[in-house]
Amino acid sequence: MSETPRDPYADRYDDAEPGDGLRDEPTTPVAATPDDERLRADDSPASARAAVVREAPPAAADDDEYQWHTGLNRPTGVADAVEFIDVHKAFGRNKILRGLNMGLPEGKISMILGPSGTGKSVCIKHMVGLLYPDEGDVLVHGESVPNMTDDELFDMRKRFGVLFQDGALFGSMNLIDNVAFPLRQHTDKSEDEILDIVRRRLDEVGLGSAHDKMPNELSGGMRKRAGFARALVLDPNIVLFDEPDSGLDPVRTALLCELIQEIHEENGGCYTVITHDIMSARRVAEFISVLWKGRIVESGPAEELFNSENAFVRQFLSGESQGPLGME
Amino acid sequence: MAGWFALPREWISSFGEIAKFSGKILGQVYSLRVLHFFGETLRQCGVLILGSTLVIWGLVFIVGLQCGIEGAYFTRAQGAPAYAGVFAAWCDLREIVPYGFGYMMSAKVGTGIVAELGSMRISDEIDALEVMGIDSVLFLCATRLLAAWLVLPFMYMAAVGAGFFASYLAVVQQIGEVSSGGFSLIFWMFQNPPDLLYSVIKGMVMATAIVLVGCYYGYHAGGGPVGVGTATAKSMVMNIVLVHLIGMLGTQVFWGANPRAPIGG
Ligand SMILES: Nc1ncnc2c1ncn2[C@@H]1O[C@H](COP(=O)(O)OP(=O)(O)OP(=O)(O)O)[C@@H](O)[C@H]1O
Ligand SMILES: [Mg+2]
Repeated sequence: MSETPRDPYADRYDDAEPGDGLRDEPTTPVAATPDDERLRADDSPASARAAVVREAPPAAADDDEYQWHTGLNRPTGVADAVEFIDVHKAFGRNKILRGLNMGLPEGKISMILGPSGTGKSVCIKHMVGLLYPDEGDVLVHGESVPNMTDDELFDMRKRFGVLFQDGALFGSMNLIDNVAFPLRQHTDKSEDEILDIVRRRLDEVGLGSAHDKMPNELSGGMRKRAGFARALVLDPNIVLFDEPDSGLDPVRTALLCELIQEIHEENGGCYTVITHDIMSARRVAEFISVLWKGRIVESGPAEELFNSENAFVRQFLSGESQGPLGME
Repeated sequence: MAGWFALPREWISSFGEIAKFSGKILGQVYSLRVLHFFGETLRQCGVLILGSTLVIWGLVFIVGLQCGIEGAYFTRAQGAPAYAGVFAAWCDLREIVPYGFGYMMSAKVGTGIVAELGSMRISDEIDALEVMGIDSVLFLCATRLLAAWLVLPFMYMAAVGAGFFASYLAVVQQIGEVSSGGFSLIFWMFQNPPDLLYSVIKGMVMATAIVLVGCYYGYHAGGGPVGVGTATAKSMVMNIVLVHLIGMLGTQVFWGANPRAPIGG
C-alpha cells in the first residue's frame, strides 16, 4: 500500500489525528463545495484514520472535475496482488488513465466498476503487459510489469487467465481446440486428459453440446462463455474477466456469477471482474473499485462501498439518472 | 506541396518499420526457435499447398503459353523459327515464371496473411495469444515464413515445369514449326542448372518479401475492419513494387553481366 503524503485532498481528513501521514506536509487548499462539507461531516474519525489515500491529483486546475474522487481506499487487511501506482496513459491526445492508483487484493473477487469508456479494459491490458503506462508503474506480486524482459513477461502471463471483452476466441479453431489451446501449449498432459478437462469446462458453462462449433457459429453470449472457460482452463492465479456477464440473459448471468464464486473458492487467487451489472456486483464482489475519468473514485470492501456516502459512488451503484454522472 | 512529400516520407518510415519487424521474424526462424511451433508450421504448409499451388501453376501455365506463341512467331519473323526454344528457356525461366509467381503470391498469399492476421488483431485474438504466454510473432509470423520456405521451392520448381510445358505445347503442338527434338535442343542449349538455381532464388526472395510484408501489415493492422481493408491494399501495393524490384535486381545480378547464351561464340 503506497501512501502519498503530498495529497492536496488531505485536508478532507481534518479530523484525522496528527502524525498519520496525511497532514505532515503543507497542502494546497481545495475550494470547499457543499458536498465537501457533507463528506467531511460524514467521515467518522475512525474510518478516516483507517483510510489510506492513494490519489495524488494535480493541484488546482481540474479540482472541479475530480471533486468526487476522494481516492479513498478502505483497507482490506490483505496484500495487493496487483497494484497501479500513479499510472498515466494517453492515446494520442486522448488521456485515458490520469494518475490511477489502484490495488486489487490477493485472494478476493474484486470488481472494477465505472462508466463506459473510462478505461477499464485499458486497465486490464496494463496488468498483462499488452499496454505500457506512459508514466507510473504496474506491479504484479510486487514485480514491475513495464520493466520486465520479454521472457519474464511470458512467464508472468502464464499465471494469468484473461477473458477479453469480445471473447477473443481463435476464429480458425472450434470450441474444443480453443479451450484446449492453453493446455496443449503449456502442459504435458495427454490428449485424452486434455479433452477430458475441456469437456468438463465446457459443460460447466453450458456449452457441452456446442463443442465442435466454430466461433462464428455462436452467439455473443456463447462466445463469452467459451472465452470464460478458456481463461480458467489452466487454473490461473490471477484472473481478469472483462464483462463476463454482458450479453447474457439474467439467469445465465446469475449462474455465471455462482460459477465464478465456486471456482474462486476452489482455486483461490486474485479474481478481477469488470462489469456494468450491479446485481452481479452485489452477488459476487468482495472488493470494489470505482473508476471514473482515469482515476479511482473510491475503493474498498464491497459492503462498505454499497453504503458509501460519496455521491458519485451512490449514484453509480444504484443506477440513478440524477447525480454527478451525466451523459456528456 | 507538403502533401506531396508526406507520402514518400510515410513510405520510407514504414519501410524502416517493416525491416525491423522482418529482422525479428528472420531471427526467430534462423535461430530455430520457430521449431517450438512445428505443428503450426506444418499446418501453414498445408494451407499453402492446398490453397495456392493450383492457382500459381495455372497462372504460370497460361503465361507460358503466351510466351511460347510470341516466341514462335517472333523467331519465325526473324527467319529462325527453330530458335523458338530460346524464349521458353529464357523468358519462362528468367522472367515470366518469377513474375507470375510473385503476382499470385502477392494476391493470394500476401493479402491472405494480412486479412487473417489483421482480423485476429482487431478481434483481440493476438492479444489473447500473448496473454496465454505465447510469443505471437513467433507463433503467427515465423511459422508462416518457415512454411513458405519449406513448401515454395518445390512449388516453384513445379511452376517452372508448368511454364516450360506450356511453351512446349504452344511452340511444338500448336504452331508446329519446330519438331519436338529441335525445340529441346535449343531449349537445353540456352540454359544450364545454375539458371534454374538463380530463378529459384529470385522466386524465393520474392516469396520471403511477400510473406514478411503481409505479416507486418496484418500484425499491425488497426482501426477496425476498415483498417484491415486498408492494410490489405497497402500491402498489395508494397508487394507489387517489391516483386518488380526483386525481379529487376535478380536479372541484373544473375544475368546482367553474363547472359550465359551460346551466341556468337
Ligand atoms: N488502442 C487504442 N487506441 C486508441 N484509443 C483507445 C485504444 N484502446 C482504448 N482506447 C480509448 O480508451 C478509452 C477507454 O477504453 P476502454 O475500452 O478501456 O473502455 P471501458 O472502460 O472498457 O468501456 P466499456 O465499459 O464500454 O467496455 C476509450 O475512449 C477508447 O476510445
Ligand atoms: Mg471495456
